[in-house]
Amino acid sequence: GMAETEAAGDAGLGPAAAQEGAELAAVIGATVPTGFEQTAAEEVQEKLGSASRISRDRGKIYFEVPARSLPEVHRLRSVDNLFVVVQEFKDYQFKENKEDALKDLEDLVKKLPWTNPLKVWELNNSLKKKKTKRKKHNLQNPASREKLSDGGEEGGADQNNTNDQEDCAQNPVAVEPTSGQDAENPQGVTSRNGVEEEEDNDQSDVKAEAQASSESGTKAGDGQAGEGEVKVLRFRVTCNRAGDKHSFTSNEAARDFGGAVQEHFQWKADMTNFDVEVLLNIHNNEVVVGIALTEESLHRRNITHFGPTTLRSTLAYGMLRLCDPQPTDIIVDPMCGTGAIPIEGAAEWPHCYHIAGDNSPQAVKRAANNICSLLRKNESKDSSTALGVPLDIIQWDICNLPLRTGSVDIVVTDMPFGKRIGSKKKNWDLYPACLMEMGRICTPGTGRAVLLTQDKKCFAKALSRVGHIWRRAQTVWVNVGGLHAAVYLLRRTWERAEERRSFW
Amino acid sequence: MKLLTHNLLSSHVPGLRPGGGFPLRIELGHPSELPPEPIPNFEADEEFLRRVHHVLLEVEVLEGSLQCPDSGRRFPISKGVPNLLLTEDDA
Repeated sequence: GMAETEAAGDAGLGPAAAQEGAELAAVIGATVPTGFEQTAAEEVQEKLGSASRISRDRGKIYFEVPARSLPEVHRLRSVDNLFVVVQEFKDYQFKENKEDALKDLEDLVKKLPWTNPLKVWELNNSLKKKKTKRKKHNLQNPASREKLSDGGEEGGADQNNTNDQEDCAQNPVAVEPTSGQDAENPQGVTSRNGVEEEEDNDQSDVKAEAQASSESGTKAGDGQAGEGEVKVLRFRVTCNRAGDKHSFTSNEAARDFGGAVQEHFQWKADMTNFDVEVLLNIHNNEVVVGIALTEESLHRRNITHFGPTTLRSTLAYGMLRLCDPQPTDIIVDPMCGTGAIPIEGAAEWPHCYHIAGDNSPQAVKRAANNICSLLRKNESKDSSTALGVPLDIIQWDICNLPLRTGSVDIVVTDMPFGKRIGSKKKNWDLYPACLMEMGRICTPGTGRAVLLTQDKKCFAKALSRVGHIWRRAQTVWVNVGGLHAAVYLLRRTWERAEERRSFW
Repeated sequence: MKLLTHNLLSSHVPGLRPGGGFPLRIELGHPSELPPEPIPNFEADEEFLRRVHHVLLEVEVLEGSLQCPDSGRRFPISKGVPNLLLTEDDA
């Protein structure tokens, strides 16, 4: 028979709810790479026409859109994950006593305005179903997943802010955390917003994705129970907690909040096969309750073709946006690795021309494969744009680029980190040589470079030696694979480079 | 490799005179048709521009080589990717 959820104020869920959902205004929370909140806000303004609030909890922005704009929201390129906000508390007063504080959280559940956010969630589900089919097809692509020697960031370094304690947990009603994130961090804590990054998450994402594809038939979210039936939803609670004044851990909060959610909705708790992921984000006195609209494993563009050390496409997008590409600009990534940056560039700035290069044959091969799949993706869209992705790859040496002097408008790249290149000592010589060569190929005056590096000391020193060619315009502090890195926007001075080998 | 890319490439074999590395000569496995000299007032000729666009951005050299005009050094193009790494012999 019918099992209707009778939770107070909660409408029945199903296709009708999705219809209603489309008319609502939704407050959306988005996680973005730390440091690029402003960039993401600009993209939201540009593509959705909405202003964003940037949260003090780093790596998150909030904006309001009509729920029917969800497809556009999912196409934002600077966003890693999305959720719909149930309620935000700017200054939540936690009781000092642990039991009291947790009881307050439990009591909160029945007071929250779940109805509309759940309709938005329902609407989002109907979008996801179409996406899941395409994703499964991509997953079957036999791209290999081994690490590249010149890939991106490496994780594992301890970067926990000593002032804050951060931890994250899912409500432990079911057996294990699904993505194994806790297991991978040696300290047993991990955070799921933009703060801690990619190396660990990527591996778990790959696993989770493989899981999703093989379980797709049985996944809870996929099927409806049938016409006229309302099936019991499965849920889990994920709690991210940061701050040193809380009397409880995220584990405890997730557990108790989850218990109250279960009580209130009569949903079933399930860590791995859940329909609804409730988010409880606590950052000092800021509390945000939300419902996830993306699954971390599915939201990573191009992940099947890239190794686990590849630069996140959202970070690549942010870097490209920083250099403000104009139509007809020539954009070069001279150390492209698997090609994350040029591929993002060609997809989002098709009126520019993108050239990727690397000295490693494996990188070049991998980048070429990724471009092929981008071409295949293009073919499925309207045929008039299918011909000729404005992107090329070359095998070359960064210190001796086979490019004409002053022929390039923008250089954007992920500079090798100390570990990858062999030693930090080698960076001392490599960085100045790179900057000189990048300066040579770049158009005087109007040219610019956006460079990501973890070796900030070395970079600053190298930059001081090429002040006649490059001026530092902006620095964005980011977090890459758990390491503190920086993205530098440089402007090319008007001074012409020495004409060594070409004339125009 | 697209022709637009070729426009930006220059040989960097050591010891060339300035400008001696440009343009690289494209050698293909088979003959191909490239457009003739630009006609006068080509900017206004939409048909011509279309053909130039096509040749610059939509035609790929998959297999062949690029030859440095001054030194004669050849750089291979394989599966659409030119390899412009110098070897120890070049130095």
